[in-house]
Amino acid sequence: MTLDRAAIERLYRSHGHIVLRRARALLGSEPDAQEALHEVFASLLRTPEGLRSATSAVAWLYRTTTHFCLNLLRNRRTGARLLESLAPALPAGSRSEALAELRKLLSRMPPDVAAAAVYHHMDGMTHAEVAEVLGCSRRQVGYLLERVPQSLARLEQSA
Amino acid sequence: MSNPLPDRLWPACLSSLHLDRFLMGELDEPEAERVRAHAAACPRCGPALEAIRAARDECLPPLRLVPPAGDSRRWWAAAAAGAGLAAAASLLIVLRPPGERSKGSGFALAMYVEHGGEVRRAGPGETVAGGDAVRFAVTAPQPAYVAVLSVDPLGKGSVYFPSGARAERVQAGIDVALPLGTRLDDSVGEERIVGLLCAAPVELEPLRQRLERGDATFPDGCQVTRWSFVKR
Repeated sequence: MTLDRAAIERLYRSHGHIVLRRARALLGSEPDAQEALHEVFASLLRTPEGLRSATSAVAWLYRTTTHFCLNLLRNRRTGARLLESLAPALPAGSRSEALAELRKLLSRMPPDVAAAAVYHHMDGMTHAEVAEVLGCSRRQVGYLLERVPQSLARLEQSA
Repeated sequence: MSNPLPDRLWPACLSSLHLDRFLMGELDEPEAERVRAHAAACPRCGPALEAIRAARDECLPPLRLVPPAGDSRRWWAAAAAGAGLAAAASLLIVLRPPGERSKGSGFALAMYVEHGGEVRRAGPGETVAGGDAVRFAVTAPQPAYVAVLSVDPLGKGSVYFPSGARAERVQAGIDVALPLGTRLDDSVGEERIVGLLCAAPVELEPLRQRLERGDATFPDGCQVTRWSFVKR
């Protein structure tokens, strides 16, 4: 697969909606989601190898978008800006509230645990699917998901 | 502690990944047929599939190669929309090669410039217009605290990144875009940029003042890289 600018543009047109939808759910902020959308595709110019070697473009986009968004959540937490800006952006509703709570927690979890939690809890992926996207074994996925409540307990103790 | 994470936030029994792969034609035909039949009968997966399908019709904005981030995004959008950006185009700035690199550290500072809605990576000899938006990116061999300071042609020191009082932690990586952009002002002459990669979140105001006084010493544990711009 060649990845010149024209190819990236075509991929953006055909698959960009996946990234945008995912970034909106993860970030809860339209400007941040737009940023993620462009950054994910722009990254292909710098490091196209990841997608070239991927067996699924969709899975690669899931993984790359998740990685970018979790980094953004962690960066925003540093400045305590994200959580302030999230409140007015979210519509009322139990799922939105759950997502907002999840974002707060994700920004403070170890990166690999946070990624596994996103794939399983937000995307409804099976352990096998999470393993495929993360490039690890199902046992490792189980281990990561097992650490979610442990991470939460530590966060509560440190709060 | 009770787990505040719901068991599943995704409402369907097939994962979003699987439904996306189905819609993008990545599944083999037997599996695609299984998904098609399941979604037609499932009260949870049918609506989820339709919601994903509907989202595909959304018109995407033109692709930018380097997007703005963080605080810069609002500023950048405003700059792109503002008439003042084009009006400032007569002021040219020549970007010189980095004047100094940290020895063997792997630390590097890059800059992206947005002009007239186009974003490109600035390189040695790059000519850009005053008023353009700029954003920095760092290559860091390990997570570190990063700051970008400058001294403008009038000798005034400022901090490009971050917006807070201390250097901000950045993940290790190649060309990691810093989540804060800015716009070049209209002062004429040489502007010096100093990138710092530190082991601790150093206070920046003392460093800014020191740069204004021409003092180029930095705290222990900080690697330094420098750029020089000449505004014409």
